[in-house]
Amino acid sequence: MSGARVSSACAAVLRRDLLLAWRRRGDMALPVLYALIVATLFPFALGPEAQLLARIAGGVVLVTVLLAMLLAFDGLFRPDLEDGSLEQLMLAPQPLPLLLAMKIAAHWLTTALPLMVIAPLMAGMYHLPWPAMKVLLLALLIATPLLSLLGAVLVALTAGTRRSGMLLALMLLPLCVPVVIFAAGAVTAAQQGLPWVAPIAWLGAALALALVLAPLACAAALRIALDA
Amino acid sequence: MNKLVYWYHKLGSPPTFYRFAGVLRPWCLAIALILAVIGLYGGLYLAPADYQQGDAYRIIFIHVPSAWMSLFIYGVMAVAALVAVVWRMKMAEVIAMQSAPIGAAFTFITLCTGSLWGKPMWGTWWTWDARLTSELVLLFIYLGIIGLFHAFEDRRHGARAACFLILVGVVNLPIVHYSVVWWNTLHQGTTVRIFGKSNITTSMLWPLLVMMFSTKFYYAASLFGRARADLLDLESGKAWVKQIASDEEARS
Repeated sequence: MSGARVSSACAAVLRRDLLLAWRRRGDMALPVLYALIVATLFPFALGPEAQLLARIAGGVVLVTVLLAMLLAFDGLFRPDLEDGSLEQLMLAPQPLPLLLAMKIAAHWLTTALPLMVIAPLMAGMYHLPWPAMKVLLLALLIATPLLSLLGAVLVALTAGTRRSGMLLALMLLPLCVPVVIFAAGAVTAAQQGLPWVAPIAWLGAALALALVLAPLACAAALRIALDA
Repeated sequence: MNKLVYWYHKLGSPPTFYRFAGVLRPWCLAIALILAVIGLYGGLYLAPADYQQGDAYRIIFIHVPSAWMSLFIYGVMAVAALVAVVWRMKMAEVIAMQSAPIGAAFTFITLCTGSLWGKPMWGTWWTWDARLTSELVLLFIYLGIIGLFHAFEDRRHGARAACFLILVGVVNLPIVHYSVVWWNTLHQGTTVRIFGKSNITTSMLWPLLVMMFSTKFYYAASLFGRARADLLDLESGKAWVKQIASDEEARS
């Protein structure tokens, strides 16, 4: 197989997944709606005091986005597993990690990107000031692909099982604790006027590491979960 | 062949392990109980009360050995999981999977005794201290492993998937710990500290060490028992299990 064939296969996987997501645009809106609903409920529970809301804004938006992504993770491999195209992907001569990376990228584009678009809206509802909002968006831009990559490994592990929703949440929690800490830490630091580059740099380092390792781990996990 | 390598390979066979574990288990359990009695007598009766914490500190003799075990068992599971993923050894899968509930139990005991200790000492039964939080995350990792193992129809299939998750956790656990330390120090340092090493005298130290060995032996005994039961289930239908079953039937 030449290099051109690998790149064209990657492009085909990416195009297919994006096209499938576009044909079912309604599904794409669900995580966004879910995030908006969760974000709307917090002020009702905690009271509409602007100062309090501004203080918790970064954390609430991050956790809400994370929960919405968790909801959408089920769609990463399940439809392909059910119609058998995932097996075809595993049998393809091109390296599986690369193809899976394309699938993860498509999933990120269709679920996390819409969430990032409404993140400023949610942060605005919580009266987050503009300088901190910029940091929040930057943190989300790094944290969401990181979560997609980490989540994909675990989704691949549970691919062969029937009831995976709650289990996935349980398995993902330990992995996303550091991500939430650093992302929320950056926003909090920006709100207090402190330097916020260090946590963002940590997140970036983790993203670089995950970009290289997570597709490999995802492929290994998928092979373990699906060989019967 | 090297004798140790030979012995190791032989233990990888379920019938040999079954017999070996059956012989060792009562001894391990007996040693664990005797050491626990000695350790608890030393800790709860002989050791003097702490000048600051009074008698409340005595929970250390349960709390600290449990905390050590929660990490030690994860280490054992990690080694077994690596062997299981790389060489697909059946016994390694059994060891890793049967250790998980014991490890989860020790982690739970650590958290419970920790909060019991924290209430009189710190005035609160839970604080978002780095150590407490990492221990809680460790409990979630254990529960995730157990959950994933049981989510599959096929047991060996589930064991392999769960072993992979154990290895993911090995990478993740230090990251969680250090990020939590970082997170906590960003807000404020803890004002109450668990007393330093210099404070512990030999009369308090030796029961602690005895308890540490006691919990190790208890783990071995519990693991052997669980692994034996699991092997009978896993290998039911094989000739050696049928042999054992018919022997048992003849005896009763």
